[in-house]
Amino acid sequence: MVYLRSLLFLIAGFATGLNAKSSTGDSVLVIVEPKQQDNYSLFLNGLKKQGYDLTFRAPKAEAPVVIEYDDPTFAHVILLASENKVFAKDITPQSLVELLGKKTNLIIALSPKQTPLSSLAAEFSLTLPPPGTPLISYFPKREGPPSVIPVSVPATHSILSENLHPVWFSGVPHSLGNNPLLVPILRAPAESFAAETDGGSPDALVDAAERGGEGLWAGSQLGLVTGFQTLDGSRVTWVGGAAIFSDEYATKEVSKGVPSGNLQFARDVAKWTFQESNVLRIDRTTHNLVNSTKSLEQYTTNDQIVYSAYISKYDSKTSTWAPYSGIKDLQLEFTMLDPHIRTALLPVPGVPGKYSAAFRAPDRHGVFKFLINYKRKGLTSLQSSTTVAVVPPRHDGYPRFLSAAWPYYTGAISTSVAFFLFSAMWLAGDSHEKRAKGHKAE
Amino acid sequence: MRYSKSLLALLYLPICLIAAQDPHQQLVELAKAGNGVIKLDSKTFDLLTSPKRTWEFEPSWNAVGEAWATVPKEHRDNHFFATLDFDNGQTTFQKLGLQSAPVVYVYPAAQGPLVPASGKVSPLKYDFSNGFDAGPLAESLSKHTPIPIPYRDPINWARYFTIATGVLGLLVTLRFISPIIQSRWTWALVTVAVSLVMTSGYMFTRIRGSPFIGNDGNWVAAGFQNQFGQEVSVVAGIYGLLTMSFLMLVMVVPYQTSPARQRLQIYLWSGVFVIVYSVLVSLFRVKNRGAS
Amino acid sequence: MPTAYPLPTNLSPATVANTASLIRIVALALISGAAIASRLFAVINFESIIHEFDPWFNYRATRVLASKGFYEFWNWFDPTAWYPLGRVVGGTLYPGLMATSGVIYNLLHAINLPVDIRNICVLLAPGFSALTAWATYMFTKEMKDASAGLLAAAFIGIVPGYISRSVAGSYDNEAIAIFLLMITFYCWIKALKQGSALFGTVAAVFYFYMVAAWGGYAFITNMIPLHALVLILMGRFSSRLYVAYSSWYAIGTLASMQVPFVGFQPVKTSEHMAALGVFGLLQIVAFAQLVRSHVSSHQFQKLLATGVISIGILGAMAFVLLTYKGWIAPWTGRFYSLWDTGYAKKYIPIIASVSEHQPTAWPSFFMDLQFLVFLFPAGVILCFRELRDEHLFVIIYAVVASYFAGVMVRLMLTLTPVVCVASAVALSTLLDTFVDPTEPEVVDDTRSESGASTISAPGTNGAAPSPTTPATTSKKAKKAAAAAAEHPTTLSDILASSSTKTAKPKGIYGLDTRIMVVLNTICMLAFFVSHCTWVTSSAYSSPSVVLASSNPDGSQHIIDDFREAYYWLRQNTPEDAVVMSWWDYGYQIAGMADRPTLVDNNTWNNTHIATVGKAMSSSEEVAYPILRKHDVSYILVIFGGLIGYSGDDINKFLWMVRIAQGVWPDEVQEPSFFTPQGEYKVDDNASPAMRNSLMYKMSYYRFVDLFGGAQAMDRVRQQQVPKVGPTLDYLDEAFTSENWIVRIYEVKKEDSLGRDLKSANAFAQGKKRKRSKPTTRRRAIL
Repeated sequence: MVYLRSLLFLIAGFATGLNAKSSTGDSVLVIVEPKQQDNYSLFLNGLKKQGYDLTFRAPKAEAPVVIEYDDPTFAHVILLASENKVFAKDITPQSLVELLGKKTNLIIALSPKQTPLSSLAAEFSLTLPPPGTPLISYFPKREGPPSVIPVSVPATHSILSENLHPVWFSGVPHSLGNNPLLVPILRAPAESFAAETDGGSPDALVDAAERGGEGLWAGSQLGLVTGFQTLDGSRVTWVGGAAIFSDEYATKEVSKGVPSGNLQFARDVAKWTFQESNVLRIDRTTHNLVNSTKSLEQYTTNDQIVYSAYISKYDSKTSTWAPYSGIKDLQLEFTMLDPHIRTALLPVPGVPGKYSAAFRAPDRHGVFKFLINYKRKGLTSLQSSTTVAVVPPRHDGYPRFLSAAWPYYTGAISTSVAFFLFSAMWLAGDSHEKRAKGHKAE
Repeated sequence: MRYSKSLLALLYLPICLIAAQDPHQQLVELAKAGNGVIKLDSKTFDLLTSPKRTWEFEPSWNAVGEAWATVPKEHRDNHFFATLDFDNGQTTFQKLGLQSAPVVYVYPAAQGPLVPASGKVSPLKYDFSNGFDAGPLAESLSKHTPIPIPYRDPINWARYFTIATGVLGLLVTLRFISPIIQSRWTWALVTVAVSLVMTSGYMFTRIRGSPFIGNDGNWVAAGFQNQFGQEVSVVAGIYGLLTMSFLMLVMVVPYQTSPARQRLQIYLWSGVFVIVYSVLVSLFRVKNRGAS
Repeated sequence: MPTAYPLPTNLSPATVANTASLIRIVALALISGAAIASRLFAVINFESIIHEFDPWFNYRATRVLASKGFYEFWNWFDPTAWYPLGRVVGGTLYPGLMATSGVIYNLLHAINLPVDIRNICVLLAPGFSALTAWATYMFTKEMKDASAGLLAAAFIGIVPGYISRSVAGSYDNEAIAIFLLMITFYCWIKALKQGSALFGTVAAVFYFYMVAAWGGYAFITNMIPLHALVLILMGRFSSRLYVAYSSWYAIGTLASMQVPFVGFQPVKTSEHMAALGVFGLLQIVAFAQLVRSHVSSHQFQKLLATGVISIGILGAMAFVLLTYKGWIAPWTGRFYSLWDTGYAKKYIPIIASVSEHQPTAWPSFFMDLQFLVFLFPAGVILCFRELRDEHLFVIIYAVVASYFAGVMVRLMLTLTPVVCVASAVALSTLLDTFVDPTEPEVVDDTRSESGASTISAPGTNGAAPSPTTPATTSKKAKKAAAAAAEHPTTLSDILASSSTKTAKPKGIYGLDTRIMVVLNTICMLAFFVSHCTWVTSSAYSSPSVVLASSNPDGSQHIIDDFREAYYWLRQNTPEDAVVMSWWDYGYQIAGMADRPTLVDNNTWNNTHIATVGKAMSSSEEVAYPILRKHDVSYILVIFGGLIGYSGDDINKFLWMVRIAQGVWPDEVQEPSFFTPQGEYKVDDNASPAMRNSLMYKMSYYRFVDLFGGAQAMDRVRQQQVPKVGPTLDYLDEAFTSENWIVRIYEVKKEDSLGRDLKSANAFAQGKKRKRSKPTTRRRAIL
């Protein structure tokens, strides 16, 4: 009864967020075995209610294809058919990576079995344990198999809602490489470990552990749900087991009277993956001289330059972009090969979304770039590069009169005056000399 | 405190030194070493007959090593100069795959504070393209030592002495030869000689270090932009002959008082001119196949 | 006086003079026409196009000048050159050439002749060659006479040594510089002869023009002082020398400092110190002369000795001190390498790598100068015979220039004018001697038939016209000669007067010898003309942007790969796409493709060039960060292996390695690019460093596929390329021209998943990934 009520509550919660849509598109392809489709109805219906346009496709079905004429057909793809070894020929690891390159977002569920997807995970710096070794934990003490584990969710996480209830998880963990593009969302509990169950070989795990080091496949450094944001900005979320989205776990109590957080968790993950939350963009950038508004093609060395960037954040509730001044650690670089100037780009009070910095151009001519390269885990990376030339002063741009040059001025003037006097005396003295000569002759 | 040791190894051949001597004595020594029979294995033979024989290298190496011995102890003991004779280290030679000598390897420190910044600890081979002099060797080895090798070329007293005597001698003889020096024709001769030698490609052979004649005994180098040393003298000679016969026509012939002699001379010099010019043109066609 | 052949008698001196000057004018006009016409082979054989490399920059700069005006040109900062350093063009070039074209362009447009700026640029060099011929005529006239001048003009008009740098389309500084060189020298000689401050000033003005036009102005800067110095040393100091030199030096130096690129160099660098030193010496000597005229000779000797010695020592010490303190820059590398010929190869490989900085072999001399090369020593000897002040100039010039031309192919250009002048002096002396109709008196009694056959009366002057009779008595001739001595106005008198200087009888007997020598000379000249025409048409008229080859049937086949590739870049790449290539092609890419380049032919920044060299000679993994750092989007390489174009990048590759090694000796090493046997190979024996280098990979990428399984053959190196061609992970082939001469590669972006591109590429090709070892977060606690 209690869980029913909570379920209703949750659905009501979803209803309020109705029509919250992605910033990149609403079409979603769900690849799932038709007979399992109903297992995920709560999650999928939630998406549908939100305004997403779901298309279902069996893993081996030929249509609808994901890429047609080099264009992605859908904005997002959810791969819940985690156990399939064979997919239709247009769904390959390569085509999935290609999809990412075409700005499609993916949610990919893994399973302890060896599938094409587990080899794909390696490309994302995720390492899976040997096949047939799901995550197991005997704590906390509970009924049910040890491979179905309640995992507590981090209380504050930039992607997840605050104070989520623990979520049920069953599936395979992965260890995270040191790829900076990874966004860990859910970690394994500290007392859990990957171990063979039926069908798995203990030797394989021992081998793997020996190669990787003691305690590799155990503990909280293992990831269960991990996001990945590509350099192009598309997002992919790797989920250790599709069951985390299932109706069963969504409705299963974690402990007496405490509903699981699965549904909201799934919702948050989808929200992040489908570019609803944590989506930023640079609307435009401007640069000009201080006390001027005209944007120049080139600046002179030592000019005072003002650079401004306008940043918006996507608001999925209203499906609009709103100016966003919340970034405190934005930096601007003025770069030619190496950054010549690196300065904080601070929000301008009073103008929402505007960040601005003023600085003196370096005393060095060349082709410079205003660079913003803001990469934070979970957030859209902000990148902007504007090329300007910094040139030496024009021929008439130098000071005309230098006090240091007085010796030269004196020299020039004195020579001129002396020459003038000499000429004058020479001309004036001419007759005198003649007279003198004449005198001598006499 | 553990100093990592970096080793500078010179691998050179004892045969090198022998080869500098005349072939007879070389044979004698080899024979003596082999109890009257000269033993050659394939490797010794290759090394003996290698075209890259540069036997004069050893003094340079020793000079650099001695210079290094003068640096303060704390630096000196970080680097070592060593040599390996082929006789003593045939296996090493084989290990390093060496076909010729001398070879200089620099083994940087593999551990400790002296590991090079680039992190490369593999041995570096010294490039002999700058020649075998001690100066460039010290300069390039200094890149691997914490302080530069304080090598200086030994003062060539003999050269200074020669120059000084030459200058003195010149001053003395100047008195006697000053009529020659003040003669314009001396200068004319010098000027023309310089011009002819320069236009015959002398600087080309100097800068490129062309051999006097080719390996196959041919004295005309193949190729338009190439020449041997002998071409300089031949071409300069041809030019000189042409210039001279021309000058004869202009400066000598008109002053002949006998018409018959004059006519003979004119025909003679014109003939020389035409024939030598033809030789020159055919030589040019050898160099430049497509010539008109 | 007997003559060898009849002379017209009914000519007034005025007619003779007028006809002579008319003939001179017509001859000069024809020479100019020939000079211009022979330079048009390039336009006729190919098209009106800018040639080679440097001219493309000059052309681009001229377009800026023509379209934006002089001040914008002066302040032009080119952000596309030396990306991302940029180039302050206005302050780093010699603007004389562009300014000249700009003035001509504006002039023509002012009189409503809408000529395209390109055509002005293409035809500027031929036009100035006509002026050079005129200037050489004037110069040689000062040396000997007008007839020698005409010969010199004809020689310089068609001699290949000058044509090589001045064919139509060869829009380079040398195009106008040789004219300026000759006219400056002419003005200097004129000033020296007359002691004229006016001509000294004119020389200074042309010197300024020269400084503004060509870096080779240093040749004048040192030639004239050297001449002055030799004159002083020979005791030929005169007030004429003083006036000429002082006016030239003072005005010329001040004027030359107005060129931004030169700036304060004339008072700060060693190259200019000779001129300054001689200027100072002249003042001292002049002062000494002044003192001598006022004090007794005994006192003067003492004074002079102490004065000159002390001033000399002081001056030398000051110079050493200033150099030591760094106020006077030492010789620049380029200049220094002329003296110490091994210097450049060792310390500035960039300079040594330029083909026109190579030493000259004798066939080049003969090709460029033909029979002038052995005629000019004769001319030099003839200069010694008279040894006037101006003859010394020619002598010094001949020695110095022949040395320089031997050291550097490029300096053949400075040798050519003096060769023409000296040869013209020699040849015209020969012709004077043998065309001169005067026959000397035969000293011995056995007078040959020449006396009887002597027909004309040389002394028939205008005042006493007498019908030419076959028998003229020697008496009459004597009388006429006496009359001629009084009024040296007629043709033969003019001829005779030249031979009166020597006391000895001088002349040629007989007609047959005359005819033989003159015919011989004419044959030589004809051969010279045909040689020049052949060399010009076959060797020096190729634009090197367009190549020509012959089809089997003899027709011409044009290979236009360069322009094809450059236009591909222009039309298919974003405007700010940075193109990396070896520096030879920088100007062409900027000019024809209009894209930013990393390095170009203005080789001032060794490090930047070495960066490109390092990228080209390193493996892909090492090169990629360099490429990304410099925002390189495309790489352009020249590959001649398919059609046998030998000037390709693989043949230049060792220079890239050498230059890179100069800056990064630890990372790039030349020996590693050779086989263990020390050979430079591209086949199966190629060294690993060679085969992994970016340059090798880009050159031979997919080359093997072209042969369809047959053994691939590099036709330049004559080596068989390995069966398995190189693969590229960090680059994509973007474009390859028709004959594979130009290959353009696009630099891939970083992998969006953060992998290195090699593994990304392996993944995209479906290769199994080697299971990577996961990073351990826990470490064993010991």
